[in-house]
Amino acid sequence: MSTPETLAEQESLQDINADYTAKYGFHDAEEGYLYKAPKGINAEVVRTISEMKDEPQWMRDFRLKALQYFLDRPQPTWGSPMLAEVDYDDIHYFVRASEKAERSWDDVPDDVKKTFDRLGIPEAERKFLSGVGAQYESEVVYHQINEELEKQGVIFTDMDTALREHEDLVREYFATVIPPNDNKLAALNSAVWSGGSFVYVPPGVHVEMPLQAYFRINTENMGQFERTIILADEGSYVHYVEGCTAPTYSGDSLHSAVVELIAKPGARIRYTTVQNWSQNVYNLVTKRAVAERDATVEWVDCNLGSKLTMKYPAVYLMGERAHGEVLSIAFAGKGQHQDAGAKIVHAAPNTTSNIFAKSISKDGGRSSYRGLLEVAKGAHGSKSKVVCDALLLDAESRSDTYPTIRIGEDDVDVGHEATVSKVGEEQLFYLMSHGIDEEEASKLIVNGFIEPIVKELPMEYAIEMNRLIELQMEGSIG
Amino acid sequence: MTPLVDICLLSELPPGERRVIEHDDLDIAVFNIGGDLFAIEDRCSHDDGPLADGPLDPATCTVECPRHGSRFDLRTGKPLTLPAYVPVETFPVLVEDNTIKLEID
Repeated sequence: MSTPETLAEQESLQDINADYTAKYGFHDAEEGYLYKAPKGINAEVVRTISEMKDEPQWMRDFRLKALQYFLDRPQPTWGSPMLAEVDYDDIHYFVRASEKAERSWDDVPDDVKKTFDRLGIPEAERKFLSGVGAQYESEVVYHQINEELEKQGVIFTDMDTALREHEDLVREYFATVIPPNDNKLAALNSAVWSGGSFVYVPPGVHVEMPLQAYFRINTENMGQFERTIILADEGSYVHYVEGCTAPTYSGDSLHSAVVELIAKPGARIRYTTVQNWSQNVYNLVTKRAVAERDATVEWVDCNLGSKLTMKYPAVYLMGERAHGEVLSIAFAGKGQHQDAGAKIVHAAPNTTSNIFAKSISKDGGRSSYRGLLEVAKGAHGSKSKVVCDALLLDAESRSDTYPTIRIGEDDVDVGHEATVSKVGEEQLFYLMSHGIDEEEASKLIVNGFIEPIVKELPMEYAIEMNRLIELQMEGSIG
Repeated sequence: MTPLVDICLLSELPPGERRVIEHDDLDIAVFNIGGDLFAIEDRCSHDDGPLADGPLDPATCTVECPRHGSRFDLRTGKPLTLPAYVPVETFPVLVEDNTIKLEID
């Protein structure tokens, strides 16, 4: 019996996301593109984006003001040393591949449609979704929503269209959860945002099947800056799922989204991300939610890809009995840093929250949990539980935990648990003594580790997640 | 009766201008928005740093925190955007003998 010291020392475990290039890493020719901004960011680029979209003056002013905030702010120095490598001058900030967002796949340009066919998006739409948005480069090329939902008043469209067709609603909520000067990357997104989703669910309406958005970067040195608002009115429910991939290039790309969720009294929003960017993408995202009285917001956040991810989905529990959850998985392989986490603010009495964060590091990859739990003065009777577990597959990999807890009241119940473990001989030996071979045993250990979160994914995504993890583990015992 | 604190002559705070004063342990910012006067605590409730240096928007009667962008309503002290979520204190302003005065408890 071979008893290797750690799993990652075995050759096959080098294969994390091994079929990425074949499955997602391809890219299309850019011949049919309508516009590609020159590299770099300045007022001219920002004006051009706004003019090409024929936006109202207030949005143009908003963008230009945000640009100034971006330029004035220094690059953050916390989080990851990789952040210093981001070259803002080496990015195309706007790339228009298609005329407009089509409502039929047949009308989407052939090359782009083929990409989404390859990624299985139209098929998924037919099978189990209430609506789909597909963003290719800077803009959404396809958008469709179930007719029944549309009749009930549900709006699911891309943000550019929403600004044209529902300007008042957009203006009322835009940047109220994440103002442009919140941080440098939010300022950048505010200046050059393009695409993303706008969802409105009327009072009492339950969207039973998920809405999905799929984000695809095709060009090298591309910046994708989608902007999303989900507004769930009183007593409504919606589950929004996003996925993302990009070709494998030597030049780096930047993805920097801003996502704002507003759950009105009694509403529930679940937002699921399966992030699988190629390893030349910096993924620097600001996601924040407001939960009003009796509302629930859940972030289910799976980070597999990218070079560097910095993402800390937040929930502000603003009304009594509101509930927030962040469930997160991060997988850091060779050359990757997943700096993920969560932020929950209890700003009202009797609010509750859970944070479950799991990370796996291998081949020298680095994962971090960075979290803030705040119970404000006056938030009597609040309860929160934070659990973060890290699994290290070898001695070169690294895991760090940076939890911050601020408590402003006495009668609250707050728990924090953190574990770091290594997959070792003993666990393998135990399983193998039950007749399970070594490869299967190692898969079981990893799957068991992430299972509590994977089970929260819609079935189709849970299968995909298990498949990705299995792939990473495949043939891992030599 | 609530004590009145003299700030400055009305002519010294024309429309669009602001002035920060210190009273006991409090920093207070006084604004002239098109002739209407408002006074709020000069403290962002998000990080306790100063607030009044931020951009002023007379149309919405708000000031924006210069560090993280929360916008505060000068009339109520309430933040209209995150990351701040706790209101800051406001103070009644009056003009007597061409002098701006604040009521501070």
